[in-house]
Amino acid sequence: MKVKTRRVLFAFLLVLVLVAVAAAMMVIGRGHTVYFDNKTLEDYQGQTYKAFEKVVVTVKDEQVAKLAKRDRGMSIWIGQNFKMILEVTREKGGEAEIHEIDLKLPYSVDGIVINLPALLEELPEEAWFSEFVPAVTEEPAEEVPGEGDDFGLGLEGELGLEDGLGDV
Amino acid sequence: MNGKKNIPAGKRLLELVRNNAVPIMFIIICAIFIPMAGFSPSYLLNEIVTRMGRNLFLVLCLLFPIMAGMGLNFAMTLGAMGAEIAVILVADWQIWGIPGVVLAMILSIPFSALLGFICGTLQNMAKGREMITSYIINFFINGWYQLIVLYVMGAVIPIIHASIMLPRGYGIRNTVSLLNMRQCLDDLLAIRVAGVKIPVFTFLLVGLLCLFIVWFRRTKLGQDMRAVGQDMEVAKAAGINVDRTRIISVVMSTVCAGFGMVIYLQNIGNLPTYTGHAQIGMFCIAALLVGGASVEKAGIGNAFLGVILFHMMFIVAPGAGAFITGDSMVGEYFRVFLSYGVITLALIMYEAKKRMAKSKAGQELAAAQVKKEDA
Amino acid sequence: MSEKKDYNYNSPSKFNDEMKTIPPARWPTDLEKAQMGTMTAMVSSFGLPRIIISGFLLVLFILTPFVGVDLPTQITNIINRFSWNAVLVLAMVPMIHAGCGLNFGLPLAIICGLLGGTLSIQLGFTGPMSFLMAVLIATPFAVILGGGYGLLLNRIKGGEMMIATYVGFSVMSFFCMMWLLLPYSSPTMVYGLSGNGLRPTISLDGFYNQVLAKILHIKIGNIEIPTGSLLVFALLAFLMWAFLHTKTGTAMTAVGSNPAFARAAGINVDRTRMLSVIMSTWLGAMGILMYQQGFGFIQLYNAPNNLTMPTVAAILIGGASVNKASIPNVIIGTILFQGIVTMTPTVMNSAIHMDMSEVIRIIVSQGMILYALTRKTEGVK
Repeated sequence: MKVKTRRVLFAFLLVLVLVAVAAAMMVIGRGHTVYFDNKTLEDYQGQTYKAFEKVVVTVKDEQVAKLAKRDRGMSIWIGQNFKMILEVTREKGGEAEIHEIDLKLPYSVDGIVINLPALLEELPEEAWFSEFVPAVTEEPAEEVPGEGDDFGLGLEGELGLEDGLGDV
Repeated sequence: MNGKKNIPAGKRLLELVRNNAVPIMFIIICAIFIPMAGFSPSYLLNEIVTRMGRNLFLVLCLLFPIMAGMGLNFAMTLGAMGAEIAVILVADWQIWGIPGVVLAMILSIPFSALLGFICGTLQNMAKGREMITSYIINFFINGWYQLIVLYVMGAVIPIIHASIMLPRGYGIRNTVSLLNMRQCLDDLLAIRVAGVKIPVFTFLLVGLLCLFIVWFRRTKLGQDMRAVGQDMEVAKAAGINVDRTRIISVVMSTVCAGFGMVIYLQNIGNLPTYTGHAQIGMFCIAALLVGGASVEKAGIGNAFLGVILFHMMFIVAPGAGAFITGDSMVGEYFRVFLSYGVITLALIMYEAKKRMAKSKAGQELAAAQVKKEDA
Repeated sequence: MSEKKDYNYNSPSKFNDEMKTIPPARWPTDLEKAQMGTMTAMVSSFGLPRIIISGFLLVLFILTPFVGVDLPTQITNIINRFSWNAVLVLAMVPMIHAGCGLNFGLPLAIICGLLGGTLSIQLGFTGPMSFLMAVLIATPFAVILGGGYGLLLNRIKGGEMMIATYVGFSVMSFFCMMWLLLPYSSPTMVYGLSGNGLRPTISLDGFYNQVLAKILHIKIGNIEIPTGSLLVFALLAFLMWAFLHTKTGTAMTAVGSNPAFARAAGINVDRTRMLSVIMSTWLGAMGILMYQQGFGFIQLYNAPNNLTMPTVAAILIGGASVNKASIPNVIIGTILFQGIVTMTPTVMNSAIHMDMSEVIRIIVSQGMILYALTRKTEGVK
């Protein structure tokens, strides 16, 4: 009897650990796509924030974008604590200044657009943050699932009766 | 072992050849085909290493049911389906990278375990024809899988992203991109030796499974499983719960197959939703058999050798076919033919041997009875 | 050591021991029926899955007028599809009778038929003559390949079904190569550009498309009946029935239901089984030719595989089990299965605008096979 209780307890603990790990993975593994806009922010509370001459974005020691005016760059990021290094050249021929940026990404948003001029002016979030909404692309007509595979013998074809119906 | 020394070398060699006819045949085929296909050695090596990382885990999971005497588990596909459902969900929740892989693996456990349990129970109802039953279960569950993925997902199970959904608003697309998960296990600790990328971490996982199998064989449960595999009646008489042991072996196999499938998919980088699992069972079984395994006996070595030889043949066959006949399709059909052929051969050898053993046992019994009567 | 031997004997736990006496699969006796009450008796004698499938089909029929589907068209379709598939389903009967299980090796038989059809066209026959020649040419192939197949199955008694499956696959993939390599040259069949290798789909217009269906073709309102095809099936089914009542036929049944008894009665088990396999292969070859003449196309390469599961499922739906099958099983099964295949897509599409027919087909057919395989009382193989 005792062995049995121990076994049940062990199984229970195992499940608990797995669930905990899964939950942790869901938090730390959430991926986001971050877009950086080097665009002039027009007329935000009466003020205009001009686009920079050039911005170099580095994420995780990797240069992901080199943005001229009105350019957009992107990077993927796993987790919510987003870090990037910006190398900003404000005016033509000016000195590059380096900013290290830490951002908290909202868990539920897939694509995040950041307006860099607004961000660096430390404006409130609503000024530089917007959600990226993927454009609805025209899709090809209904795909027929289950055609073609490495072996040319899909399970689908297994009942290949579709042949005749149109024919009778 | 010592007894073998007395047998003349020629006979021993013959014995060796006979016992390993299939691997030797494949070595010869590969030896002939490789020069014909004309691939560079580094390309071949790279492909083989990639495919080993991709497939070994899946092939190894076949060992459990063989241990329990249930033959080749054609229903390992069930684990693959469980993993695919998990991977679809994980892709939809946008959990990326290694956390995504880990989550997919954990999430696949309940699905594969449930399917494995169903499969084991049905196989217990069809003792003596486990293999054909597992083969049909495969198709049957595939029907349910399609029902879930094609109609329930998006309609009942919420799917957030339109990018993986069919345009009609429910059901999953033909392919689900796993770009953000792609090769994240393989790239971890990966090293390059002379242009060949070795996915060290994936191999570590495979090594871990091998260790587990070796360890498992020695546990009480592993011993029970082998006893059941040898003889169900005897095992039953010894107080082993035969049905339960058999179900456990199938569940272990499907759960491992689920993990294997996640590894496979992260390597491929996208999920062919409706065909991804279709041929997995058949590929893995063929590979294991090519490695010299039989229906009732298979080891880790068979899996390694089998994956290398089978995939070598698979890579070079179209090129060789084009070289011989001028039509690469012939080569492609040829490799399919060889895969089916080797499974057929193994099944025939297994059944013939079983019959022979049975008739021998019968004869021995008859002889014993005659003796008894004489006495 | 001696203990070990004892184990070996005492435990022909190898459950598929062909010598084991098979508890006859039997319908409940009248007394039992009376005890069970009519409803349960019906369920147990007809089988739950069969009831569900028949009920499902009935619902489909009832729904037809309400969802705006033309009933006569549906009936015509079912009759047509019945005439294409019935002979293939009939091919299952001999092997089941002889205890060789369900013939998952149907692709082998189909290959024989394909050889007959393609060679007949290659040799330049057209019209009804091409069908006759296809039958004639397919016959020796069926006898030879079926003989070899039977020989093989005799050596692996007990494991027939799994091996049959893979023999079918192997032969089919071998012929995939052959269709490309054999020196076919008829321009209607080979690839236009390269001039060698057969096309995956070959139209039978001008050859034996509808040759049987056109004989005594009846048209009542919107319902069309391919009388010729049905008559040919009826003839083959009658011959099958008659054969099963000859001495050889009863011997075959005996081999299937109790090999030990059959051997004791002096029946050559191996030869009987071999005969059943050859018959099954020949009928399969006829079946695919019938299918082609109805459908109007020869399908090569991986196509033979597509017919195996529906055929096996059909006879099981009709009430057969792994070791027991009759002509009514064939007829009922084919009608039920083809009924579902024809009705589901149209009716469901009109009713809920969702075509789940493919999935339903897979679940119904595979579920039926699974049900037959896992039934303990029926058959040991």
